[in-house]
Amino acid sequence: VGPGPGSATAAGLSAPPVMAAPLEHENQVFLDLFHQDGLVICARGLGIDRILLRFLRLYCEPASLVLVLNTSPAEEEYFIDQLRSDGVVHLPRRVTNEITSNCRYEVYTQGGVLFATSRILVVDFLTDRIPSNLITGILVYKAHRIIESCQEAFILRLFRQKNKNGFIKAFTDNAIAFHTGFCHVERVMRNLFVRKLYLWPRFHIAVNSFLEKHKPEVVEIHVSMTPAMLTIQTSILDILNVCLRELKRYNPALEVEDLSLENAIGKPFDKTIRHYLDPLWHQLGAKTKSLVQDLKILRTLLQYLTQYDCVTFLNLVESLKATEKAFGQNSGWLFLDSSTSMFVNARARVYRISDDKISKKSKVSEKMDIKERKELKRELVLESNPKWEALREVLKEIESENKNSEDLGGPGQVLICASDDRTCAQLREYIIAGAEALLMRLYNKTFGKDERAGEEWIKDRKAVKSKGNARSDKGPQAKKAKVEASSKQNKIMKKQDLTLTQMMGKTEEENIEEEMEGYKELSSSEEISIEETKPEDFHLNLASDAYYGIFKTPLTIIHPLQGCSDPYALTRVLHEVEPRYVVLYDAELTFVRQLEIYKASKPGKPLRVYFLIYGGSTEEQRYLTVLRKEKEAFEKLIREKASMVIPEEREGRDETNLDLVRDSTSATVSTDTRKAGGQEQKSVQQTIIVDMREFRSELPSLIHRRGIDIEPVTLEVGDYILTPDICIERKSISDLIGSLNNGRLYSQCISMSRYYKRPILLIEFDPSKSFSLTSRGSLHQEISSNDITSKLTLLTLHFPRLRILWCPSPHATAELFEELKQNRSQPDAAIAMAITADSEIVPESDKYNPGSKDFLLKIPGVNAKNCHVLMNHIKSISELVTLSQDKLSEILGNAVNAKQLYDFIHKSYAEAISQGKTKR
Amino acid sequence: MPVSWPARVTAASSGSREGAVLGELPPGSEASTVPPAASGDSDPCPTLKPGAKSNCIIVSARQRGNPILKFVRNIPWEFGEIVPDYVLGQSTCALFLSLRYHNLNPNYIHERLQLLGKTYAVQVLLVQVDVKDPHQALKELAKMCILADCTLILAWSPEEAGRYLETYKAYEQKPADLLKEKVDQDFLSIVTDCLTSVKSVNKTDALSLLSTFGVSHLLPIRVQTGPCHC
Repeated sequence: VGPGPGSATAAGLSAPPVMAAPLEHENQVFLDLFHQDGLVICARGLGIDRILLRFLRLYCEPASLVLVLNTSPAEEEYFIDQLRSDGVVHLPRRVTNEITSNCRYEVYTQGGVLFATSRILVVDFLTDRIPSNLITGILVYKAHRIIESCQEAFILRLFRQKNKNGFIKAFTDNAIAFHTGFCHVERVMRNLFVRKLYLWPRFHIAVNSFLEKHKPEVVEIHVSMTPAMLTIQTSILDILNVCLRELKRYNPALEVEDLSLENAIGKPFDKTIRHYLDPLWHQLGAKTKSLVQDLKILRTLLQYLTQYDCVTFLNLVESLKATEKAFGQNSGWLFLDSSTSMFVNARARVYRISDDKISKKSKVSEKMDIKERKELKRELVLESNPKWEALREVLKEIESENKNSEDLGGPGQVLICASDDRTCAQLREYIIAGAEALLMRLYNKTFGKDERAGEEWIKDRKAVKSKGNARSDKGPQAKKAKVEASSKQNKIMKKQDLTLTQMMGKTEEENIEEEMEGYKELSSSEEISIEETKPEDFHLNLASDAYYGIFKTPLTIIHPLQGCSDPYALTRVLHEVEPRYVVLYDAELTFVRQLEIYKASKPGKPLRVYFLIYGGSTEEQRYLTVLRKEKEAFEKLIREKASMVIPEEREGRDETNLDLVRDSTSATVSTDTRKAGGQEQKSVQQTIIVDMREFRSELPSLIHRRGIDIEPVTLEVGDYILTPDICIERKSISDLIGSLNNGRLYSQCISMSRYYKRPILLIEFDPSKSFSLTSRGSLHQEISSNDITSKLTLLTLHFPRLRILWCPSPHATAELFEELKQNRSQPDAAIAMAITADSEIVPESDKYNPGSKDFLLKIPGVNAKNCHVLMNHIKSISELVTLSQDKLSEILGNAVNAKQLYDFIHKSYAEAISQGKTKR
Repeated sequence: MPVSWPARVTAASSGSREGAVLGELPPGSEASTVPPAASGDSDPCPTLKPGAKSNCIIVSARQRGNPILKFVRNIPWEFGEIVPDYVLGQSTCALFLSLRYHNLNPNYIHERLQLLGKTYAVQVLLVQVDVKDPHQALKELAKMCILADCTLILAWSPEEAGRYLETYKAYEQKPADLLKEKVDQDFLSIVTDCLTSVKSVNKTDALSLLSTFGVSHLLPIRVQTGPCHC
């Protein structure tokens, strides 16, 4: 399994002592970027947030106006908190939709650092609500996401068009993202309008030598898996391999390199495979689809194997088998030899079947009820996790060291990190209650009281039948002797049962509590009160609420590495707790690096890191793969950087950058370019009116790119107005389904056809998904009114003038829009905005006032057929009220309808309320 | 005579096509409307004028052998002399186009659309997407449909195309209730729904208005916006 684990820490965990806050290499990153704009790609966990923070600190003053793009609310909060604790006065502010458009200009002119929602910024740039010339610059976080069509790229383009002096500085710590695709980094830099690329891998000489000086003490503990675990792991890997081979056989087009076993155990594999398969998902056979599903299950199995205890694993395995029985879904791997061995071993970790079942039978059936008997036949093994033992050892060592730690200034705090909440909760219970109690509780929860245990048991028996038979051969002679022995055993077992139930009572309480508190800080239930003081005291006022406290003195807590709502929770905890000992129950690259930096920023403080890992396991392999991937990505980036040709005008500070020239001829690389020389200059500037809400999608950016002006306004009817006649309602597939179901599309179509000559429904597909409305084989035998195709049919029948556009991607849409606008006049924003119920309607659509018609149609007794008759008879709705019931039935020609209508109009509110009450 | 699906397909199925088509017909469909197997291209069926009432889909003879007919199972169909490919109701018709065919004969659909003119209220251009890279062709068709007042419908398989034909015929008289927002059938919901159809009234307004006035007192408020062309 790859290079030795020694190298794992060498590359990931080697670092440091001395120096205060800004670290040497950080200074250099900062200064480089400060002097010349560029994109910084830094290794994961090496503190890209700290660098951004320094820039924020620099610009937190009213004299500058700096925008920060691409941060999440949690990150913004973290940055603001940090700056506040640094004593910064002019704190960054957020521009969200809570600030009304009128106030925004004022906010912008007040200066400082602003975190702004991209959608708002786009609109403000387009409408010149933001004083572009006053902007000092833009900081882009998570810059690897800046692809051409995204909002942020649009903002940067608009910024550069209007402001030639401001800076653009971009940050990312995701080097692996640049590993895919052709010239990815160059395209991102082009979108960012930067010429410089700064690479800061972990193996950078400055980083490496600096961190080397501040190395924490590292203890690597290679835990070996139990034989059963090893066998299971081998079996799962076997099955994975078979599935991968099958997958390749069915889809020869898939890139072989990405489908290696090494990648398959890594975390991003699901994404990779979906990335390849999604565009052709509707063409795939059932076999491939189920293989993809199986791969996912197998990966989960692998993860559960090392992450959780034997009972949880067995439960998962059994439920797989049960679903297979129930639904008959599986692509055959359950019948492989390897899977049998997996099942056998998974069970062997939990219980053993006692040998003497035959001899017991007679006695047992008399005395006990059947269930109990079945229970008895299982002899619980409940294999404990090897890592747990290792953790206990480590904690013991820390404890003994803490006892004579006067020279270090008292006992050191302990931070234990495990990957997720579930593991953390288990570890906590393990440390407090012990392995046996934990496993017993889990066993009882999953198998104990479950009625299925009986069936399970029968299945088990089948599985071990051969064994049983072999033994029963020698049975007859041994029988008698065993009877006595078994009766003794029974007694013991009974006892055990008793304790079990007792415990169950307690643990159940615990369970409920746990669930109630959302698996957070568990208030002490009676039996946990070993060393804990009151739980109230134990709320540590830590920044994160995701931690699990164990002991108060010395403070020992468990914190999950992933799955916290606040991505900086662990960082905050680390800095607040200031542990002397960190136990990494699970390895994660980012946090390992973070520890290095933490150590380096607190020179002189001792830090010891215990690294628990299963030697030769997929867990170890996964960690090493991540390390290797990042290293490869950086090496590729370094090569690319060396050969990169960057045009002088890239930054767009003068007029020569072609990306900023908004002309359709430069944007389309089609036959047009060749004709460009002879093309006549268009005299009219093309304009499209776009509804505010549409700025969430990438379409406006792409339209703008084609040289068409965009006017953002709030439209009541339609999303895009191309010409005075053409109004377009854009729907993604999910929108389309939703709005066909909830009636919104119907009313949108009504208003579109009322006010525009050419109402158009645009169905836009996601380019990364399949270009198809229904998937293969999903058609029913009969016409079903629930099908989206049926509803679409009905819609077109009711709106004969409604045209439908089907666009495979936003790019295609933008192109089509441009062509639809050719030789047609420009729309007027003022008119489009004013279109509401009161404006003039398209002549041929209706000769009646649409508002009144809508109103009448909603009244009971009026329907599409008699509505016009009614409207011809009355001058206004007020006249309707004066009519008698007889007169109404004369007009409507139907006494029932007339009565409904009359009753409705003349029913009083009080009556209605009382009626409603009696109904209830 | 031009056909709108690949010539290959027609040739392949020509031998047994009648049988195949017949075999797929629902047992309940009128025997008289089924063209005799011997009939060649000259159709002996009673001539049906477009627009005449019929509970069948009327299929132009040029669609003979089109695989999508195999998937029109829930609605009876018959051949007739018509200008479009399919007549799906009194005011609904459809032209069928396979993109594979279109790429070979880009002018075909032009001519058909010109011939059709604007005879029907709903004119569907039913396109079967059966090529790998349909985007350029689809863009051209989209523009064409806007100019020719056609409704563009895409299907990705003959099953889906057949289903669209069935659905158009089956839903010919169907009201739009299915598409509308569902309103509870008690008095309050109806009144609220009714009142909120006026632009400036929201749900809370509607309730407070109602508690103050009865419906009969409320309605005259709309005097100014009453029917204008009555």
